[in-house]
Amino acid sequence: MNEIVASPTIAQARAAGPRFGERMLSAGARCAIPVYVLLALGFLAPLFAVVAYSFATPRGFDVFRTFTLENYRQILDPANTVWMSFAWSLGLALLTVAILTLVAYPIAYGLARLFGRSAGLVSVLFVFPLFVSENIRLYGWVLFFIKGGVLDGTLKAMGLPGAPEFLFTPAATLFGMVYVYLPFMLFPMVLGLSMVPRDLIDAARDMGAGRLQIWHEVELPLAMPGILIGMLLTFVLAVGAVAESKVLGGQSVIVITQDIEIAFTYAQNWPFGSALAVILTLIVGVLTVLGIGRLDLDRILGRRS
Amino acid sequence: MVEFSRRDVMRLFGAGAAAAMGPGFASRAWAQDRSKELNILCWEGYNSAQVLDPFREAQGATVKAESLTNDPTMINRLRAGETNVWDLINVNNPWARKIMHPEGLIKALDRATFEPFFETMMPGFKPPYKWAMSDDGNDLLGMAQRYGPYSFVVNTDKISRATAEDQGWDLWNDAANDGKYGILESDDWNVFCIFMVAGIDPFKVHTPEEMAKFEETAKRIFKGAKMIGDIATMNQALISGEIDFHLTGGTYSVSPARADGFPNLRAITPLKSAIEGKGGISWIEITSTVNNPNLSPLATEFLKFVQAPEVAHTVAFAEGTFNPVSQMGNPDCFALFTPEELDAIQWDSLEEEMARSAEYDIVPDYDAALDLMTAAKRDRG
Repeated sequence: MNEIVASPTIAQARAAGPRFGERMLSAGARCAIPVYVLLALGFLAPLFAVVAYSFATPRGFDVFRTFTLENYRQILDPANTVWMSFAWSLGLALLTVAILTLVAYPIAYGLARLFGRSAGLVSVLFVFPLFVSENIRLYGWVLFFIKGGVLDGTLKAMGLPGAPEFLFTPAATLFGMVYVYLPFMLFPMVLGLSMVPRDLIDAARDMGAGRLQIWHEVELPLAMPGILIGMLLTFVLAVGAVAESKVLGGQSVIVITQDIEIAFTYAQNWPFGSALAVILTLIVGVLTVLGIGRLDLDRILGRRS
Repeated sequence: MVEFSRRDVMRLFGAGAAAAMGPGFASRAWAQDRSKELNILCWEGYNSAQVLDPFREAQGATVKAESLTNDPTMINRLRAGETNVWDLINVNNPWARKIMHPEGLIKALDRATFEPFFETMMPGFKPPYKWAMSDDGNDLLGMAQRYGPYSFVVNTDKISRATAEDQGWDLWNDAANDGKYGILESDDWNVFCIFMVAGIDPFKVHTPEEMAKFEETAKRIFKGAKMIGDIATMNQALISGEIDFHLTGGTYSVSPARADGFPNLRAITPLKSAIEGKGGISWIEITSTVNNPNLSPLATEFLKFVQAPEVAHTVAFAEGTFNPVSQMGNPDCFALFTPEELDAIQWDSLEEEMARSAEYDIVPDYDAALDLMTAAKRDRG
């Protein structure tokens, strides 16, 4: 007769309680460990290095060995004009968000409500440029706007005086940013508008609400999560934009990301570049948190009455 | 508490860079057998498939090349511990002799093997060639190949070559020219050129008065510029008529446009400047073997490979930018250049322009000048 080896039943195992590792972390947390490690290595470690460098001796590489506020003092020195670069970056980013909100809303409305079967094709047309390098697209616009280029040449061929001076101006930089970041505003907005139940709009109309009232009191608040995400995404991307001011703007204004780039390349002043990056991150972070804080996401998302 | 030294951190970054170059790269860098791999840190041109593919095929080797467009960044990559990664570094003339060799970042070449190559080069490169030698004249630190004058570029349909050479740097001191010129986005060279416009020798220690003059000149020049941009933007703007001339430029930047059928665009070397007996500035690339503890044997093989006439011609006309090469002193190499190619690199005036150009050198107060120039750029907005 075979010897029967007693094995614990599931009930016995449960009664014995969780093992050490299980007591420390839930199953979900344990499964998430690889993601945490990846984030720590890929996201936090570089940020930590940048923050550490910002406290190193200017133009040196003695990170972790020295601690100085000199880089921040230089940035805050009233004689230093680097604040102009911050102002241009933030100003251009805010203008980009404002213009894109106005431009993208009607398109998003059309995609969500009006275009029907052709909405997919229209979406592809907006996505398609993303497959082409941003720099190549911007150089394409240079050929369009340059003296004797597509616009100027066409107008002259029609007997008109030619295109006005536009290329290599701050307005050209803004144009480039609006063009490049349109899809990043548009698609979250489409998502937001798609989330608005048609029944609610019909109900509001049945109750006698006018078009403007429906838009203001029903559609806009319910679509706001998508709009807000689009605005935040566009702002964060636009504040870090540099190619537009370089290629289309001809560096008519210097944005802060270009100052950071110069610090890490031609100047080889990594600590100063790091301090600029830390301040930019803080400004963007604070503005983002303030932006979100002004809008009650819980209420918008319907989690709280 | 664990204390990190600077060297530890730099090595960490270096190892990170090695890891970022691809799976297995970091481990290979420290492996014993590196006979079939080569890593090159260079200006654009040497990373071209036209140059590298024949070498890969001939050696059956894996060759990786990364191109950067300023010398300090490349040198700091080695300082950051990447001497473990790279086998060859290709930078402008002063760095090997004045910085990289004294700091132990590069290794000397075998003079008996490599010095004979200089014998066949253009007359200005005959051995011992200053920029290829160590300060004490004992060690051969690298090989010379591409070079050229680099001051400014004009559209000769708008300003004749004679006028541009004669007026020289004062083109930027004439307020009537505001809005007619661009500035190439090449900040280290712009520092040199703004000193020249200010009537000051760039390659010396400057007095506070000279720095004040530099600042005033930089603000004025950037304010009057139509645009700042890369080489493609400058050439396009010259061709379209947006600008008539641009600061910092030479054969390196204008040759692609000339090769594309715009010989009216021309690199200019002024007749006079603040530098005694010189009008403009020139550069010469020196390629050195990195002080890699496990240097690939292919490093020196590659240096020999690019001396061959056909390969030197390919290097001269690698994609992106076309340049004279020192190997044109060898008749077999020179014979490979077509009249059109010679015209693209302004062969007709190359010798005289090099003769009246000061060779690129290190600006002792570059950091302060660059800060003033960056602030001057901001003043445009």
